Amino acid sequence: MIRYECLQLLLPLMIDHLVVTSQSGQRIEWGHLSKRDGNLLLGEMGCALSVAAGIALALPHRKVVVLESDGSILLSLSTLATIANLDVHNLSVFVFDNQAYSGTRISEPSATGGKTDLEQVARGAGIEATATVRDLDHFKTQAIPALAGEALSFTVCKVQESLIHRDIPRPDIDLLENKYRFIRYLQETEGKPAPFVGRG
Amino acid sequence: MENPLAVRIVDGLKAAGIDFMSYLPESRLSQILPLMRQDASFKLAPAASETDVVSIAVGATLGGKQAACYMESTGVYVSCYQLVMVALHLKVPVLLLVSHLGGFDDQRNSFLYSLAGRRLVPQLKALDIEHKVLDSGANLEADIKNAVRTMNSLREPVALIFSGEFTV
Repeated sequence: MIRYECLQLLLPLMIDHLVVTSQSGQRIEWGHLSKRDGNLLLGEMGCALSVAAGIALALPHRKVVVLESDGSILLSLSTLATIANLDVHNLSVFVFDNQAYSGTRISEPSATGGKTDLEQVARGAGIEATATVRDLDHFKTQAIPALAGEALSFTVCKVQESLIHRDIPRPDIDLLENKYRFIRYLQETEGKPAPFVGRG
Repeated sequence: MENPLAVRIVDGLKAAGIDFMSYLPESRLSQILPLMRQDASFKLAPAASETDVVSIAVGATLGGKQAACYMESTGVYVSCYQLVMVALHLKVPVLLLVSHLGGFDDQRNSFLYSLAGRRLVPQLKALDIEHKVLDSGANLEADIKNAVRTMNSLREPVALIFSGEFTV
């Protein structure tokens, strides 16, 4: 199973979902597959899950989906304990775990390539709805229920390291344009602007 | 901090439009927490690290809230990455409420805190984050309102640093 195949399966399921990605491969691949303004393609590791949790808390009636990586989650393990204790029932987390820092270009192994099991870490942090999937059939049976469910879910997707993202065009909107498209999309679908917008 | 000052902080935040606060509790301003918990106009998000405090507040702001982050001075060091790579990079306004643990006017300063306190303001300057040190509540409500107006105008984090009588 590779990440791009998983993302292709998620794509038609995103209707009015808010999707937040971390750097790097999942950002490039999701940005290539999906052009929705409900995407927030963050440009760093270790922040997508917590930013998404803030969005989920602010908009409890909206489904928020996070596309994360093993390296990014490992950089911010405290976030697992934080979100487990918050009311983020509307948050679905997918961690594409290739067990490597692929961006290093020499595929340095991450801790999940060694002894660390992110699903067990998440369970220990207090997240109840967790799963680890290793093939596309299992991904289909876990991903769809997790998106439809009304509880915080954390799905570790064990994927092979793939270099597809190096060959596809990178997102051509920068972080600020992405932010404004995202909050304009929310303004349109929620019927009110972000409080800091305007005042010109 | 005397309780009337805590009440004024909470009322000031409410009057300035703050309706969301992520936090890691600390000792100097902690009396604000039970007051805010009793007030349904605030949504609170306790976190396990100041890294989460900042990025959760950024997410809440993008989702339409007017967010504050409450932490002690050491939390600014812990959350530098999120302040730079998320809040400043994306230009998202959040109000940092920072107790000046270890600062010059910290009434409970000790050798445990003084190093962290001494470097707080230089750290904020290095991050180019607008900030104001409050050592009394003389202009508290106006300072909070001005900080919120400034952060919304800049689309960046702004810090209020609470020292002096806030640290009693």
